Amino acid sequence: MTIFSTGLEKQLNILDYALASFWRRKLKNLSVMIVFGAVIFLLASFQMVTRSLTETAADVLAAAPDITVQRLSAGRQESLPLAYRDRLAAIFGIRKVVPRIWGYLFDEGKGANYTIMGLDVAAMPGGEKLPQSLAAGRFPEPDETGGCVVGRSIVRIQGLESRRHFSLFRPDLSLKPFRVTGTFGAESAILTDDLIVTTLPEAADLFAIPAGLVTDLCVYVVNPREIDTIAKKIAARLPDSRVLTRSQILKTYQVVFGWRSGFASICLLTGLLAFIILAWDKASGLSPEERREIGILKVLGWETADILTIRFWEGCLIAALSYVLGVTAAYIHVVHFNAALFRPVMLGWSVLDPTFRLVPVLEAADLLLIFCLTVLPYLAATVVPAWRCAIVPADSAIRGG
Amino acid sequence: MRPSHLLILFLLLLAALDGVLYVDYLRLRHDRPAALDILTATAAGLGLSDLCVATEARYTRHPAASDRVAPVMDHPGGLEHFPTGSFWAPPPYPETRKEIAKF
Repeated sequence: MTIFSTGLEKQLNILDYALASFWRRKLKNLSVMIVFGAVIFLLASFQMVTRSLTETAADVLAAAPDITVQRLSAGRQESLPLAYRDRLAAIFGIRKVVPRIWGYLFDEGKGANYTIMGLDVAAMPGGEKLPQSLAAGRFPEPDETGGCVVGRSIVRIQGLESRRHFSLFRPDLSLKPFRVTGTFGAESAILTDDLIVTTLPEAADLFAIPAGLVTDLCVYVVNPREIDTIAKKIAARLPDSRVLTRSQILKTYQVVFGWRSGFASICLLTGLLAFIILAWDKASGLSPEERREIGILKVLGWETADILTIRFWEGCLIAALSYVLGVTAAYIHVVHFNAALFRPVMLGWSVLDPTFRLVPVLEAADLLLIFCLTVLPYLAATVVPAWRCAIVPADSAIRGG
Repeated sequence: MRPSHLLILFLLLLAALDGVLYVDYLRLRHDRPAALDILTATAAGLGLSDLCVATEARYTRHPAASDRVAPVMDHPGGLEHFPTGSFWAPPPYPETRKEIAKF
């Protein structure tokens, strides 16, 4: 106990000296801490945002249709004949085929892109739970004229807080009137913010799609293990189609933030560059004041091991505090400021600003990864300079040699 | 007060702040399943395949339902010019047709 308390007291004394030494060069040390903390903040924020989006996509899009069938012509998606549904009926294992008409409408007056979707909600598996996604109102009936459900961004940009009617242009520039029967809630914003859901005939009228044509077919199978087999059968039976399975949709979001993503590359390369600058600063050698200080300490009886301990505490202090402050700031940035610094990158030229809240995933493995990528290399980079610092001969250091 | 005592005090304040944030995190995770139920019902009921993050281009609004050629297919020699095109990595190649040869 006495040896322990003596050892602890010695370490506290060395820590006191290290803190005093840190404060004597506070401008330089605080600058290093701020830059190092900013690098960790950037990496941690990126990790939290991308994990949040990837996890949300993996959980939510697992409810996407088993198979989606689109038609391609000259490499571009085109309308698909409704008669293709009958050709799929002969494939054993298909439970249901639901046609949809959907596409994009550019509102020139607002400069915004809307996603318009027309389908029979009652025909969709899981359609009975769809009203949960509404903040108010109802979905339009299949034979209802002009009825639609809109997302929150549509309400804002069309000024639908105080009115229910709005119009959109058809391809021939005639106006098609719509009446809002319901609005999507905030909980579903990450899926529905730019969405206008209406009936099949209304969507066909808006896009001037001839009768008998749809945009795609949602195919549902009896046995989920047969999805790939049935997808291959569909592709063989409909050679001009593109067949998209749910697993392919989920795979997209697993790789979407890989290192090949431009966003990921910028964050990681910026972090690497900043770290190289920091490590170069640490390895660039001792200043004359530092050499003189070490010489005086050695004359006073300090051992090489004590000098090493001081340098260890200084490095540890900067690295550990930077890490904790960086990760804390990253969490506050992602959760309470909704990743505001990344929003311009995520939105680009979008006029609609989807208002969803990101819930980060804090796993020990991710925090440890950031720690190993930032703190450990920094500490390793201080080992050689610390050793060089500790072996300075006292007499030559004091003489200034 | 010794510098080490000041450091310990600062670390305790930091620990308290992180403790509060962790409790907030646990609350968010606790509320997440209810929000997920609504999102899952929405995705299932409408057959949605993508998150609504960027709405500037069709291939960034629906990256899972687009092709790799979509960013450059507007005209011959077309270049990908939307900022969010660099936000997402391109979707993986669908391998359905490759598998048909074995089928």
